[in-house]
Amino acid sequence: MLAEADTALPVALYATLPFWPLLGAVLVGVWIAARRDPSRAHLPVVFGVAVSAVLGVALFVDLGQRHVDPPPATLAGHFESAETGAGRQAREPADTFTAGRAPVGGAWQNPGFTHTLYDWISLGATQSLEGGQWISVNFYFDRLTGAMLLFVTVVSLMVVIYSIGYMRDHHGHPARGYERFFAFMGLFVFSMITLVLAGNFVLLYLGWELVGLCSYLLIGFYYQKPSARDAAKKAFIVNRIGDFGFALGIFALYMFIAPLAQNYENPLDYAVVFKYVAQLSEPQLTLVALLLLCGAIGKSAQFPLHVWLPDAMEGPSPVSALIHAATMVTAGVYMVARCGPIFAGSDAALEAIVWVGAIGAVLAATMAMAQYDVKRILAYSTISQLAFMFVALGCSAPDSAVFHVFTHAWFKALLFLCAGSVMHAMGDVIDLRRFSGLRHVLPQTQKLMLIGCLTLAGFPLLSGFWSKDEIVHAAFEHNTALGLIMLATAGLTAYYTFRMYFLCFHGPKRLPPEAGEHPHEAPPVMLRPLYVLAAGSLFAGVLLGVTLKFSIGGSFLGFMSPHGFFHSYLHDSTVAAGEHAGGGAWLMYPSALVAVGGIWLAWTRYGDAPQAEPDRATFGPLWTLWNAKYYFDEIYDAVCVRPLRALGDFCFATDRNGVDGLVWFVAALPRGAGFLLRFMQRGALQGYALGMVAGLALLLLLWSWMDERPAAPDSADLSGLQGHAALVGRHAP
Amino acid sequence: MLLPYLLVGSTLFVLGLVGFVTRRNLIIVFLCTELMFHGIIVNLVAFGRYPLHGAPTLDGQILALFLLTVAAAEAALGLALVTLLFRYRGTLDAGAWTELKEE
Repeated sequence: MLAEADTALPVALYATLPFWPLLGAVLVGVWIAARRDPSRAHLPVVFGVAVSAVLGVALFVDLGQRHVDPPPATLAGHFESAETGAGRQAREPADTFTAGRAPVGGAWQNPGFTHTLYDWISLGATQSLEGGQWISVNFYFDRLTGAMLLFVTVVSLMVVIYSIGYMRDHHGHPARGYERFFAFMGLFVFSMITLVLAGNFVLLYLGWELVGLCSYLLIGFYYQKPSARDAAKKAFIVNRIGDFGFALGIFALYMFIAPLAQNYENPLDYAVVFKYVAQLSEPQLTLVALLLLCGAIGKSAQFPLHVWLPDAMEGPSPVSALIHAATMVTAGVYMVARCGPIFAGSDAALEAIVWVGAIGAVLAATMAMAQYDVKRILAYSTISQLAFMFVALGCSAPDSAVFHVFTHAWFKALLFLCAGSVMHAMGDVIDLRRFSGLRHVLPQTQKLMLIGCLTLAGFPLLSGFWSKDEIVHAAFEHNTALGLIMLATAGLTAYYTFRMYFLCFHGPKRLPPEAGEHPHEAPPVMLRPLYVLAAGSLFAGVLLGVTLKFSIGGSFLGFMSPHGFFHSYLHDSTVAAGEHAGGGAWLMYPSALVAVGGIWLAWTRYGDAPQAEPDRATFGPLWTLWNAKYYFDEIYDAVCVRPLRALGDFCFATDRNGVDGLVWFVAALPRGAGFLLRFMQRGALQGYALGMVAGLALLLLLWSWMDERPAAPDSADLSGLQGHAALVGRHAP
Repeated sequence: MLLPYLLVGSTLFVLGLVGFVTRRNLIIVFLCTELMFHGIIVNLVAFGRYPLHGAPTLDGQILALFLLTVAAAEAALGLALVTLLFRYRGTLDAGAWTELKEE
């Protein structure tokens, strides 16, 4: 258990984490307004993200320093340990526990603490006269927070530093929109840190939407290009579909939790939700979990809402790296892992996650095999890897999912930034058919890319190997067929990754004319962050995912066993780690074999970067199907986009012709009347006088005509005027 | 006898009205409005002297004095305006002023 007083540095300091990049972004905005020299506009954002990265690392270490209590099986067990624990547990608020149906043998214990910045929205008095329920701006700290923030902040920092070099032309002059780019990057990092730190679902949703907004702004960064504009809109709208479900899920959660929450317990805080979630029925949990899953599918680009991610390559390469590694698509996995107590209560939702993941993994891997755009191949590999994480989440191994998110961040950022480096040198050409043999031109990029590819392919001992292996193992434990699917997909991953690598860097040296006379390696400001990321790709797995064991049984190569430090670290979080410790080492042999086999196959077929596509001949129509991305875009266009557009056209026509027509008709009536009477307006004074006289005469005529009819005797005094006799008779001499 | 006075008053009024509508000279038009005024004043005095109900009162004559005052002020203003209009166009024809016509 962690408590606020446990951290070495004050929690208030950690609570400033999201605001440094925001400050940087705001300062860049001031920079733009002040029209200062754009070539140094990156400084505020780099500074802000750097402070966040330092704090992120400090938080990771700080949260990890504390002793991790094994979760007590029962309430009694907890109090036993409270007695033995040296006073620290005694400080824990007593309200951590209430009786209730326990999800996994025991009431839910709050593994972290909530740090409230301020109360935001009052929810009014629902339980008593003195209502104390709020939606607060509060941050939730547990080790999942720490693990996420570690790579979110550090990888973001690397990407931002890399951008300093990338967003310039060959002469070192900043590209158009340089300041704008860095302002958006700062905002993006701020959004993601807010999302991760959020202590309640409303703030989570806020971060969620902010991330979507920033991705929209950055994917559409080259807004002069129609394709970039379309991609930005596509990303935003597809995300919106998922977010709609996510919002409904939060509403449902509030509906179910609010009646249970006591006074002074904010019903949407994680700590409160997870405390009472065990009291909900399984259908309720399934409903909430499936709706939340909707949001995760949209944000993490899972089948069937994966279509936005490949198009998102229209943004600058660092943006792709940020979206794929650190700030955007990981949000869905994070959210599902965070809401572990909710998902754990619904087998149907878990099964749905598994199959969404399995289908997505296979589809994306096969699509990646038949693409030529390096960044698109990487995008499909991201979808596939995220699908792996979803499988792990569904197989009740969320710790493995978070571990894969963690390792994936390093090598995917590395791969995208290397692809950006290639683009930088090739004059923004990224089509594999147009160049080859780049190892002669970009030796450093080639080595870095090789590290990234090996890690993605799951080459033994690199970080991707450990995390992916755990997922495959969890899949085998869940279902043998599922495990085989995941193992085969891992092989495909190795194959398509190295197809891309060989096509790009091997074979004869061919360059596109856009590359210019002497294409050159990227500047140091771009390469150095890549070395950091490469180090992360190489060693993050070994350092964090492996327990060194000097016994032969149940280990890999005799001394390494999966499910190491990272898992015991995550034990103290809402992730609710499964019990896999030490298991699954046998799987590492076939897994290593599959990875190496995939690479070898790619080498035999693509080792000399052939111009003709060997796969096209081998797979025939299947290859065409993959190349066309299973026609998802076309199907969605026919099934969703066109009918919706037709509906929109219909509504627009109804509005324009029906509603507007009525308004125009009302407006036309006085206009027509005026047109008819216009001739009377002659401007001559005497004409008007004549009109008045005529009107008066008409009125008098009318009056006399009305008066001729038999009226009541006392109808009006003036009727006396009618008779001469009356007038004469009343004459007084 | 009320009726002869009313006949005189309404004759004056109708003469003024017809003159107002038919004559072109602005001064004559203006004089015609005075004629209508006085037709009404005659009516007022007559009704004051021979009211339809009750005893005769001085109300009509008091009102007549007020109206004469107003008419005098209005005549001064109106003739000044006519003079100004004449200066602008060099004619006293009422038909020369149709600026507010709807095209």
